[in-house]
Amino acid sequence: MVTAMKESKGDKLFVISTYIYLVLSLLVVLYPLIYILSASISSPQDVNSGAMWLFPKNVTLDGYKLVFENPKIWNGYLNTIIYTVVGTLVNLAVTLPAAYALSRSDFVGRQLFMGLILFTMFFSGGLVPTYLLVKNLGLINSMWALILPVAASVWNIVVARTFFQTTIPKELQEAAHIDGCTNLKLFIRIILPLSAPIIAVMALFYGVGHWNSYFPSLIYLNDEAKYPLQMVLRQILVLQEMSAETTGASINSEVATAMNNKAETASLIKYGVIVVSTLPIVAVYPFLQRYFVQGVMIGSVKG
Amino acid sequence: MQTTRKPWKLLLSSALVVALLAGCSSSNEGAANNSTGEVTVNKEGFPIVDESLTLTLMAPDVGIQNWENMKVLQQMQEKTGITLEYRNAPKDSFETKKNLVLASGDYPDILYAAGLTTAEQMNYGEQGILVPLEDLIEEYAPNFKALLEENPDVRKSITAPDGHIYSLPVVELSQHWYRNPMWYNGDFLKALNIDKLPETTEELYTYLKRVKEEDPNGNGIADEIPISSVTTPAANLRDIRTWLLGAFGIYEEEVYVDDADKVHYTPLEEGYKEYLTYMNRLWSEDLLDHESFSQTAEQKKAKAQNNQVALFSDWHAYMSKGGEPSTEDPMFAPVRSESVDAPAIAKNRGITTGAFAITESNPAPEASMRWVDYLYSYEGAMFFNKGPEGILWEYTDKENRVKKYLPVPDGKEMEDYRATLTPNYGIPAPTLSMDDISKGLKTDFDLWVEQETQQKLLDQGARIPFPTLFLTVEEQTEISNLNSDLSTYVKQMEAKFITGAEPLTGWDNYVVTVKKMGGERVAEINQAAYDRWKSN
Amino acid sequence: MKGSYTAVSVNPSLKNKSLGKRIWKNWELYLFMLPALLYFLVFHYGPMYGIQIAFKNFVPSKGITGSEWVGFDHFERFFNSYFFWDLLWNTFSISFYELAIGFPLPIILALAFNEVRNGPFKKSVQTVTYAPHFISVVVMAGMIITFLSPSSGMIVRFIEFLGFQPAQFLTDPAWFKTIYVFSGVWQSTGWGTIIYLAALSGVDPQLHEAAIMDGASRIKRMLHINLPTIVPTITIMLILNMGNILGLGFEKILLLQNSLNMEASDVISTYVYRAGLVDAQYSFSTAVGLFNSVINVILLITVNQIAKRTSENSLW
Repeated sequence: MVTAMKESKGDKLFVISTYIYLVLSLLVVLYPLIYILSASISSPQDVNSGAMWLFPKNVTLDGYKLVFENPKIWNGYLNTIIYTVVGTLVNLAVTLPAAYALSRSDFVGRQLFMGLILFTMFFSGGLVPTYLLVKNLGLINSMWALILPVAASVWNIVVARTFFQTTIPKELQEAAHIDGCTNLKLFIRIILPLSAPIIAVMALFYGVGHWNSYFPSLIYLNDEAKYPLQMVLRQILVLQEMSAETTGASINSEVATAMNNKAETASLIKYGVIVVSTLPIVAVYPFLQRYFVQGVMIGSVKG
Repeated sequence: MQTTRKPWKLLLSSALVVALLAGCSSSNEGAANNSTGEVTVNKEGFPIVDESLTLTLMAPDVGIQNWENMKVLQQMQEKTGITLEYRNAPKDSFETKKNLVLASGDYPDILYAAGLTTAEQMNYGEQGILVPLEDLIEEYAPNFKALLEENPDVRKSITAPDGHIYSLPVVELSQHWYRNPMWYNGDFLKALNIDKLPETTEELYTYLKRVKEEDPNGNGIADEIPISSVTTPAANLRDIRTWLLGAFGIYEEEVYVDDADKVHYTPLEEGYKEYLTYMNRLWSEDLLDHESFSQTAEQKKAKAQNNQVALFSDWHAYMSKGGEPSTEDPMFAPVRSESVDAPAIAKNRGITTGAFAITESNPAPEASMRWVDYLYSYEGAMFFNKGPEGILWEYTDKENRVKKYLPVPDGKEMEDYRATLTPNYGIPAPTLSMDDISKGLKTDFDLWVEQETQQKLLDQGARIPFPTLFLTVEEQTEISNLNSDLSTYVKQMEAKFITGAEPLTGWDNYVVTVKKMGGERVAEINQAAYDRWKSN
Repeated sequence: MKGSYTAVSVNPSLKNKSLGKRIWKNWELYLFMLPALLYFLVFHYGPMYGIQIAFKNFVPSKGITGSEWVGFDHFERFFNSYFFWDLLWNTFSISFYELAIGFPLPIILALAFNEVRNGPFKKSVQTVTYAPHFISVVVMAGMIITFLSPSSGMIVRFIEFLGFQPAQFLTDPAWFKTIYVFSGVWQSTGWGTIIYLAALSGVDPQLHEAAIMDGASRIKRMLHINLPTIVPTITIMLILNMGNILGLGFEKILLLQNSLNMEASDVISTYVYRAGLVDAQYSFSTAVGLFNSVINVILLITVNQIAKRTSENSLW
């Protein structure tokens, strides 16, 4: 961050407006978030009637109790962490080299490869063929079914490629090449260390993708013990939301009463579930943020 | 701005869910095809097999209890000698998983509570993935066979056009509601000194108007909402529509058959127009909650709990109003308009198809049929419904099947505990639901509700609006094709007519458009299917 | 050093050599490409045969190969639908609206973040603005309905408090698109800044020092140094987003849709959802999906060409 020598009036005004803009953004975003936090510990009646609008009313921790007393939750957290870490590492290993290769104009065939990859962003065969493929590869019910079919995303490859092209200095690479550096060495010794922001962004995007994902788990996993967090949370929520009209099951009074009671709790934990699944990620971000500092790479070039 | 387009991909992918069914399963012909195994099956009594037999079963799992630990299933295993291996999928993703499994060629032996639609039964049945059951029923299912003989309509409703029965249904003999009933807020009735419930649409209108104007909840604010309804994307107004349509002689909101065996497509009927006129009147005078099209179920409930609503739909009144079950909130007695002699009241069809099926990989269909047949007997149904005797219930008079509830172990909620005993919780499991099951277990409140149902619905001529039946694949396709545009248009126009966005003078144009989109064709197709069903 | 988008050639001496030599010299790059290529070939091209049911009358009992070929029947049915033009219009207008509002905002916000010194304030504002991204679509829709409810919504009450007459936000077709877009913007702007922040970290501080020496104001520096640095990123993001115009997801719309606002809220994906899943018409929904993809591809290529002509930046 460039320290200002002497700021003119115009500059001062600019800075103040910037701060105001940020504070406003903060407030606009903050209000609904506080609402969610409050709603997760308020009585459903107050939430649904609109009586609760900022601060919690009739505080109840039943929602969170329900979620955390479920023994599967902790297992879910563990599984999700494993899947996220492993998955993200795989993603990075597949995406970064490819993106770098595509960023080189002397790479014969890059247009072809790019086209091949882009095509898949628009046209896809569908769920059943993919499921059959995963089954035939013997991946059903294994962690790899959650990782391999999503090993890379076109979007992220394109973004990473853009970063390589715009932020790694061309001169640097040419110089290294003249010094006799092979592509591999160049990539590992020079490119990667300079790519901290790119790596951080990719890790964040892919990591969050894994953290939030539930659909692949839904169709590929059979063992409850392997369920990630999102699956467990969904189960809890869906269980609570069962209603007589939708089950088609034989309904009698006791069942309906039970479902009615559950619906109340569903209202309650809907918000708690978000807090539970999001807080870890939101807490991790500040650590990644330091990679997004201006000039962090250029500086190392000079050095 | 990286927006996830995943939902779209999901849609596209899910749209291909059943895509490769036969395409791939026909290339996966490895599945074992012996229906006559070396398993000797006892035709009656228990155990069903003398040597141990293991079958795989797939069902939706609500996630409360591991099926292997359910007492009912454990005891069933000891009793029958058949061991079951469970390959369940979570309930909310069951549809997807089911289709994937059936497409992959790796079939479970039994499909339990799988909710197979008539279309699915025909499709999979024709491919040979589902085994025809009618012969097995003859030989190995005395209970179910008896049920069919007592209720011939059931057989008609579960037989596919090709003459085979591909799955067994849930049979509901004791629950007669077609939709959740509507209830009057008893406090309001008292406050306004109403001693006789409205019988005609005019009387209803007058009552609702009084609710609006005379502050029956006594809080000094004109916050009363005479009628409120909820929205879900699929079902605006569904909770009250059928009840109010009945006032104009219409049994169901889409397709129904009248007393002369003629099938009607509701959105084209004169009675429907009268319904729209009436609703429009209620809307414009603010008697129908203007948030009916946009609020969530929870919001409506909050209003009811706040003692603001006079007439609403729910399983029981107290579920919306809060508090304890009370007999002070009378059930809505369907009213009639001037154009009919009596209101048209819809009754529960009593059958949900697709609850049990046997796949071609099953080595012992006879044993499987005997296994499920037990669930259609009184003892079996009782066992699977409430759990083994002595845990949640016991007999006080076994002769007459009278029972009573026992205190719930661990002091839990009864339903929560029941869910750990039996798989028949929240899923459409194959069984017979009959009055005897709850004999002696009903509270006074339950009995009162039964009485209300009897007096106000059953005695007033409630009948099934349109039977459960099979359409042929072509019929099915045609109706689905038409409905893409048709149902969208009908729904939109209903809302417009009711809210006045479209004046009722536009009715004729509306009819023309509906006909152009194929409304009459829908009636025709259903008429043909109905005639087929009737003559079977 | 301005951010240039052209690919980097590390070995100028290769320019005139033969094809074989050029490939051989960079053999490691092919290795780099390999995992990704394998991945796409296996997991994307492998299952692609499923697309053909768009051209068939898929009847499950006959399977894909047995189902009869109907060519463009499904497409015709879609084009002839009573609602075709409405659906197309709604989808396009919502997408463009979303782009128009939602595309610039993250850029502006990112530039603003960049001007602020690092510290607790910056970190907390950033973290807070990211959080909405994680709210599930179901809760988001639920919140919108709650906040805008005519009888109890807090936004409605706020408007009344200010003395104005609130509109029927949830049921008036005229308001649907705005509600949808602005809530989407609220949810995704913070998260969207990440890419631009990363790109901004490539700005050379020396340029700023030089500019300050020359007496340039902050605004000038931001506009002439920071902004151009991220223009390549902006261009790429714009192209990618344009290539996704018809990919409007159905979940959030489905949750906010009701009979009254349908004429403004029914889009291609919700229409197909009802047809494809609810009524089980797989061929039809695949066909419509294919139509969407084709339009998206055309848009992408068009915008890409424009970008190529007018700047040095393009997707390929």
